[in-house]
Amino acid sequence: MCSLDKYLKYKKESLMHLNLIKEEKQMALLELKKVKKIYQQGKIEVPALRGIDLTVEPGEFTTIFGPSGSGKTTLLNMIGCLDTPTEGEIRLNDKKVSDLSRKELAMTRRYNIGFVFQSYNLIPVLTAYENVEFAIRLIDHSSELQIKEKVLKMLAEVGLKGLESRRPNELSGGEKQRVAIARALVKEPKLILADEPTANLDSENAAGVVDIMRKMNKELNTTFIFSTHDPMVMKYANRYINLKDGMITADERRG
Amino acid sequence: MFSIKLGLKNLTRQKRRNFITILVIAFAFFIFLFLDSLMEGMTEMSFNNIKNYDTGSIQVAHPEYWEDKDNLPLENLIYLNWDMEESIKNMDGVTGVSPELRFKANLNNGIDEIEVIGLGISIEQYNQVFATKNHVVEGSMFAPGESKAVIGVSLAELMDLKVNDYITLLLRTKEDTFNTIDLEIAGLLYAPNPMINNGIVFVPLEIARQALNVENGISMMAVKIKKEKEINPTIDNINQIFQEKNMNINAYSWKESAKTVMAIRAAEDAETVVMLIIILSIGMIGIINNVILSALERTREIGMMKALGMREWEIVLVFMVEAAGLGIFGGLAGCLLGFAGVWWITEIGYDLSYIGGDMSEWGVPILDKVYGVWNFSSFVFIFFFGIVVALFSSIAPAYWAAHKEPVKAIYHR
Repeated sequence: MCSLDKYLKYKKESLMHLNLIKEEKQMALLELKKVKKIYQQGKIEVPALRGIDLTVEPGEFTTIFGPSGSGKTTLLNMIGCLDTPTEGEIRLNDKKVSDLSRKELAMTRRYNIGFVFQSYNLIPVLTAYENVEFAIRLIDHSSELQIKEKVLKMLAEVGLKGLESRRPNELSGGEKQRVAIARALVKEPKLILADEPTANLDSENAAGVVDIMRKMNKELNTTFIFSTHDPMVMKYANRYINLKDGMITADERRG
Repeated sequence: MFSIKLGLKNLTRQKRRNFITILVIAFAFFIFLFLDSLMEGMTEMSFNNIKNYDTGSIQVAHPEYWEDKDNLPLENLIYLNWDMEESIKNMDGVTGVSPELRFKANLNNGIDEIEVIGLGISIEQYNQVFATKNHVVEGSMFAPGESKAVIGVSLAELMDLKVNDYITLLLRTKEDTFNTIDLEIAGLLYAPNPMINNGIVFVPLEIARQALNVENGISMMAVKIKKEKEINPTIDNINQIFQEKNMNINAYSWKESAKTVMAIRAAEDAETVVMLIIILSIGMIGIINNVILSALERTREIGMMKALGMREWEIVLVFMVEAAGLGIFGGLAGCLLGFAGVWWITEIGYDLSYIGGDMSEWGVPILDKVYGVWNFSSFVFIFFFGIVVALFSSIAPAYWAAHKEPVKAIYHR
């Protein structure tokens, strides 16, 4: 190939690469711009978030760490459409969340977001199977058989095969958290928010839970954002956000 | 729908509290069914006692006599011939016609004297309309042509009289002069209508007519018909007969003579409404309390449901299904208890002996025992009423629960 051909080929590839980056930039899953949250406690204003700028790309496995009271949970609640910012803008899938009605926020959570909480928050009268089924029934109107397949498959993925008919009070802490993860994942959301998911677990169970989340992140390209103090969890993340006094003080990506 | 499944599963939580709520609802329903049966039974017994022992289905009288009938006047009597009586008796649905002559009298046993109502009757015709002859406990009713009297057991006890004793009836004639009738007691009555037992003296019609000097006059005619629903058409027919003869005589439904009982019936209907309101309130309070407590206990769960993307109405539905479940179980239990209670009151009856066995003081002609009646429509009504009340009661507290802020709910301690 002559030099000119090589040059043109290089240019073309460079342009394509640039366009790809531009496309990816336009397709950010989550964008926060100058987000503030101020709580009113009587006459006192308590700023929980003091101007957060953040962009999260699809497929990221992000941890938010910081001391107690730094605003981690508040930030997750904003992202998860459970709460609205006092100031600033949040965009999820390029949609401005603050413009959404209560119904639209509920629909956004229903279809796009999964939650995993520190205290599991399973429904005690439902079995493991039913807790997961509950989540998918809200969005999926497939046949009974198809739903059953999805639920059983997800429970097997999180290592709970054979425990489907147990109620939460018959499961260990780790097993309960796996049910919560299965419940969050079964509807294949774009984003999973986990608030201290391993805080109530021993190290073995914590490792197991994080393993599952990493696996799901890789297989399904689901974006994970979780708040944690657990260094073991943090080491698996490919992005670290340090939060202090309601502000991002560090934001690092690892290869 | 999963909300319905979750609502039904939630019934298995807080078993003790749910059981108590169900029990309260059941008890309220039982009271309603029992009292409904009792009151319907009292009404039916009262009406039957009036029709079968006092008025018949229809009464025929002069309008001016009718206005003043409680005073038992001897003016404005009706003078009918045999043909007229036959033409009424031959009407469709009429099974008997009984002429009556009612008058005030004093009964004297030789020692004491008491005010009574004298009732001159033609015994054969009287027995076609009234069931009194079935309640002669001593002696018998007098035969046609006999100069005898029949009185109630209560009156006999009061005046220390027995069968074959002689009594004197002091009365005022049509000309307002005094007269007396001496009669032998042929029999003693114990009829279900206490008014019969307490103050009426039955005498032969001809003897009463002679003593009162009213020729062939009668106060009124009692008419018995086969079917209750034929009363109004029969009244119209009777009135037509008299209109055609240019006679100023009208027919009246037995209900017009039983105003006290009808008023009591109207009061009972009002009581039924009040009872329903009380039951409704009991049921509502039970359900509202249950839903509020459930919502408070499940605040975090509600938050989680919202995090999953459940809408408020879906969360309200969960609580409403639970409340409906409580209503259904409470209703079933209440109907079962009610069935037992109504069986008892219809088969065994409620003994009135603690009030002297006689409700006539309250204007209700019932003696000794009150029996209930089966009213299956009440069971159906109260069962579905309970479910409706449960559903409506749950809406407000469920709405309150569903509108909690998701963040506050999830992190609720």
